[in-house]
Amino acid sequence: MSRAAWLRRYAALIRNAWLVDLQYRASIVLWLLWGVTEPAVALGIWWTIAGEGQVAGYARADFARYFFALMLVNQLTIAWDSWYLDGWIREGELNFRLARPLHPAHEAVAENIAYKARTAGMILVVWLVVSLVWPAVRLPLAPARWALTAAAVLLAGAMRFFISFTTGLLAFWTTRATAIMELHAGVSLFLSGRLAPLALLPPAVAGAAALSWFPYMLAFPVELLTGAAQGTAVVKGFAGQLVWLGVWIAAYHVTWTRGVRRYGAVGG
Amino acid sequence: MKIRILAALWRLNLAEELQYRANFVASVLGTFFWIGTALLTLAVFFSHTTRLGGWDYWEVVVLLGVFNALTGVIEAVLRPGIGRLAGEVRSGGLDLVLAKPVDAQGFVSFRRLDIWRLADVVLGLALAGYALHRLGRVPSLAQLAAFVLALASAAVVVYALWVVLMSLAFWFVSVENLSVLFDAVYEGARYPVSAYPEALRFLFVYLIPIAWTTTIPASTLTGRLRPEIGLVAALVAGAALALARLVWRTALKRYTGASG
Repeated sequence: MSRAAWLRRYAALIRNAWLVDLQYRASIVLWLLWGVTEPAVALGIWWTIAGEGQVAGYARADFARYFFALMLVNQLTIAWDSWYLDGWIREGELNFRLARPLHPAHEAVAENIAYKARTAGMILVVWLVVSLVWPAVRLPLAPARWALTAAAVLLAGAMRFFISFTTGLLAFWTTRATAIMELHAGVSLFLSGRLAPLALLPPAVAGAAALSWFPYMLAFPVELLTGAAQGTAVVKGFAGQLVWLGVWIAAYHVTWTRGVRRYGAVGG
Repeated sequence: MKIRILAALWRLNLAEELQYRANFVASVLGTFFWIGTALLTLAVFFSHTTRLGGWDYWEVVVLLGVFNALTGVIEAVLRPGIGRLAGEVRSGGLDLVLAKPVDAQGFVSFRRLDIWRLADVVLGLALAGYALHRLGRVPSLAQLAAFVLALASAAVVVYALWVVLMSLAFWFVSVENLSVLFDAVYEGARYPVSAYPEALRFLFVYLIPIAWTTTIPASTLTGRLRPEIGLVAALVAGAALALARLVWRTALKRYTGASG
């Protein structure tokens, strides 16, 4: 298929997802609110612990910038696909999606783009307004850093999408696919930097995190944005993102081809 | 609502739930995972400080136990009951409830009992007890009585929060995921209110009263607050309940039905 045809298809899919979201904008605001509570609570606790001093080099303002950046990056990279897929597979809704001349993943990607454009836009506006009154969360105007962050966010978003999609596909074999995703979320609380910057974790835990894909989902793009990642850390970060993205694409490929072969749900 | 009806409803639920015994194992495993995560979270905080808002490690663990016990009540009764309200207002399913000759608020709130989740109550209290043991404290009879009163009040405050938040469904009909609002608010109850910046502390004690759900019961148990606070907690719970009832009544007047 030509590139123009793909562009047209994606434009239609994104437009469709955008209009669907428009009907549920109040629900989306609530999901957004729920998404920022965890980092807000973590920020509140670290704020108190830091007091007037520093925690491992992090003063109050550093924590504020870190967790604001985390809220934004998390919203831009979050993926709900495992929950959708789990439902589609168990209830047979996957059937009509398989009958379409387009792989169901494209619809999911389009939904992600529409949803994230809307919600990340909201967070950016709130961030801008907050930074007017609260200097601690202001970021320096550094176009090069922002461009790098955009690239890292794109890679992290793609990786989280493939993780979520692959885990959702486990519903071909088990009824507890979403439980596996929650387990993954529990581990990522520590290893992806949601609870604290990785530098604040015990060295053994931070060491284990460095061997996994978790830091590349969130911590790396967040630290690019705040400026904590510099020099070789940036190169290592992008290399890690590319390697793990490749691994998860491969995992997705295996799971999809094997899963669809054994799929036999009725209804839809 | 009449106790007899409640007993009948819960007996039916129980018979239903007993068919899914594997859910019990899944539920307990989930709780252990949650408690493990929460303890590790605390370990991270306490690796950089010796006290959190003036509380030491095991005091906060007592609070975590209380939090987990209340989570059990929420997941066993409130979420499967009143948590479904938003969807029913939207679909018009509430018509069926209103047509019944019982108090609608009572029926909506207590119609279901997911018995397995009550294991969280037991595990939470056990965790609080173990943390007390590690603190080397044996609560006096007065402290225990205050704790029971404060914990019961906490359950009432949590219930009132659910009623108020879910009543918003009558104004914002298209919002299916209203229960998320409760989760967002309750997230703040994981830590003692003194661990938050001043402005949030005020909010949690007076406006969104989640301080009364975990901080106060845990404080009675560890002796951080005098037992008399139990009576204050009961008063707060009474006020919250009355307010919730008022909001529910006002909200219900807006309901016009949508089912066919």
